[in-house]
Amino acid sequence: MIRLVRAEFLKVRTTQTWFWLLLAAMAVSALFVIGPFAAGDVRTGSDLAQVFSAASTAYIVVFVLGALGVTGEIRHQTITATVLATPSRWAVVTGKMITYAVLGVAYALACLIVQLAIAVPWAAADGMSVRWGQDDIPRALGGVFLVLALFGIVGLGIGALLRNQMVAVPVGIIFLLVLQGIIAVIPKVKVVYPYLPGGAVDSILPIRTGRGFDVHLLPFAGGVIVLLLWAFVPAVLGAAVTLNRDIT
Amino acid sequence: MTSSPPDGRIVVHELTKVFHGNVRAVDRLSFTVEPGSVTGFLGPNGAGKTTTLRMVLGLVHPTGGGATIGGRQYRQIPNPLTVVGASLESSSFHPARTARNHLRVQCIVAGLPERRADEVLDMVGLHDAARRKVRGYSLGMRQRLGLAAALLGDPWVLILDEPANGLDPDGIRWLRGLFRHLAGEGRTVLVSSHQLGEVQEVADRVVILDRGRLVSSGSIAELTAGTEVVRVRSPHTDRLAQVLTQAGIPAVADGPGVLQVRGSTPAHVGHLAFTAGVELHELAAQGFDLEDLFFSLTGSAYGGQHAAPPGADPRAFPPVGGAA
Ligand SMILES: Nc1ncnc2c1ncn2[C@@H]1O[C@H](COP(=O)(O)OP(=O)(O)OP(=O)(O)O)[C@@H](O)[C@H]1O
Ligand SMILES: [Mg+2]
Repeated sequence: MIRLVRAEFLKVRTTQTWFWLLLAAMAVSALFVIGPFAAGDVRTGSDLAQVFSAASTAYIVVFVLGALGVTGEIRHQTITATVLATPSRWAVVTGKMITYAVLGVAYALACLIVQLAIAVPWAAADGMSVRWGQDDIPRALGGVFLVLALFGIVGLGIGALLRNQMVAVPVGIIFLLVLQGIIAVIPKVKVVYPYLPGGAVDSILPIRTGRGFDVHLLPFAGGVIVLLLWAFVPAVLGAAVTLNRDIT
Repeated sequence: MTSSPPDGRIVVHELTKVFHGNVRAVDRLSFTVEPGSVTGFLGPNGAGKTTTLRMVLGLVHPTGGGATIGGRQYRQIPNPLTVVGASLESSSFHPARTARNHLRVQCIVAGLPERRADEVLDMVGLHDAARRKVRGYSLGMRQRLGLAAALLGDPWVLILDEPANGLDPDGIRWLRGLFRHLAGEGRTVLVSSHQLGEVQEVADRVVILDRGRLVSSGSIAELTAGTEVVRVRSPHTDRLAQVLTQAGIPAVADGPGVLQVRGSTPAHVGHLAFTAGVELHELAAQGFDLEDLFFSLTGSAYGGQHAAPPGADPRAFPPVGGAA
């Protein structure tokens, strides 16, 4: 398994996709920090926790990375070489899951560095006295690691199920970015929101729900479980159904 | 190498593949590929060659039957790259990855030292292009990279789908030498091809497929026994044909003043002509032609040069086989 994970890392490193996506993730993080600070909305430690939580929107980028990790192999037919070297589809998927979880953590680290590099001096310049160990700030910072690590796997699983890169990536982005937000505000339908990936993220991170948003979120542990299911169910189904299809 | 070479026999048993839409691509196909020989896997377009090889390699699930390599299914072989090397027709590489990096990935999975990637790239003549992205590769260069990937694990069994496609004459000559060399070491080499001439040059054995079914298999010597053709030129072909027919040897006209005689030898034909007092202007054994064997077995128009069957539109492409 260690060989498989090393090989998957080499695959990621030897194309340039990871680099552009990392830039995108860092840019998203930066924007979500700069925006509230520039608007003067950050006054307390609790505000800061909000800022860090919102910056986890970079999970969309990690989702794309994971989705490309499977659909790219199908598109370029490198899946043939992969499966010839490792005939067990389960082993292939497990190796990819470990790899993309670690990549998610690495991306989270890069995003956090960006966030802190902007937030710490700015907060000091604004004369805020931030107590870093309180006001949900540790939960916001730690939650980003968990969310990004799991979203790499969510991307893999959805990619394995949808197979087509030109479908999986746009569908995933539109669902995560737009549809979830709409579902969250439609009466009746919104009861499913806590069980969507975004709802799970909201439970994990200390997000203050705004006006017009009265969905009853799951507790932290519930959010973790829901996100774990979003990570593992599609990946397992994808391995069982999709990857076992004929490779022609 | 090890004292007793591993068993590299490929056994295909009652292999069947029905694709969606009821395309019977491979139909109860059974054959054996022997180690220590080069086996040509032949058949017209759509005969099911690629599908068969993909089933042998565990990439396509058979509808029925099975295939083993050295007694095991491909999926059961631990670290298969070191046992079986394969290059498939549509083997593809990530366009943004270099050849060397593609092979390094495979080295890591198979637990091979990464210098092995450079070794095989040198072998196939891609040394100078090793660090270039595959995006810029020509067809022949991709084909060479596919071969390099197949050779990476120094495997005892090689399964190659149309490896000569796109190769230049030097590359083809090199490939031929490589096959001979590997078979000489006791390895198994199974190569599908369209180029019958190429196969005839290098193969000891052939497996011939048509519309998913086995048409013939065995050593070329066996299959062609008694099919040698003698070409005779004579001002009296009518008389000669009569003499030969009386001796039980079929002769057919092949242009004015020329006869094609099957199932005999120049000495025998010459003797019959002499005793009958028929004048001969030419008497020659024609090399056996795999193409002829192929056509006689599959009844299919195959290459461009071969005469179209009577009534066929010479401008039309021959139809592809494989439909149910
Ligand atoms: N994925 C698929 N789905 C449906 N039909 C398929 C699929 N792959 C192959 N076929 C059909 O199976 C038959 C055999 O195809 P195959 O590619 O094995 O032939 P082949 O002998 O390799 O031909 P060629 O010489 O052109 O490479 C054809 O009729 C083809 O259309
Ligand atoms: Mg083919």
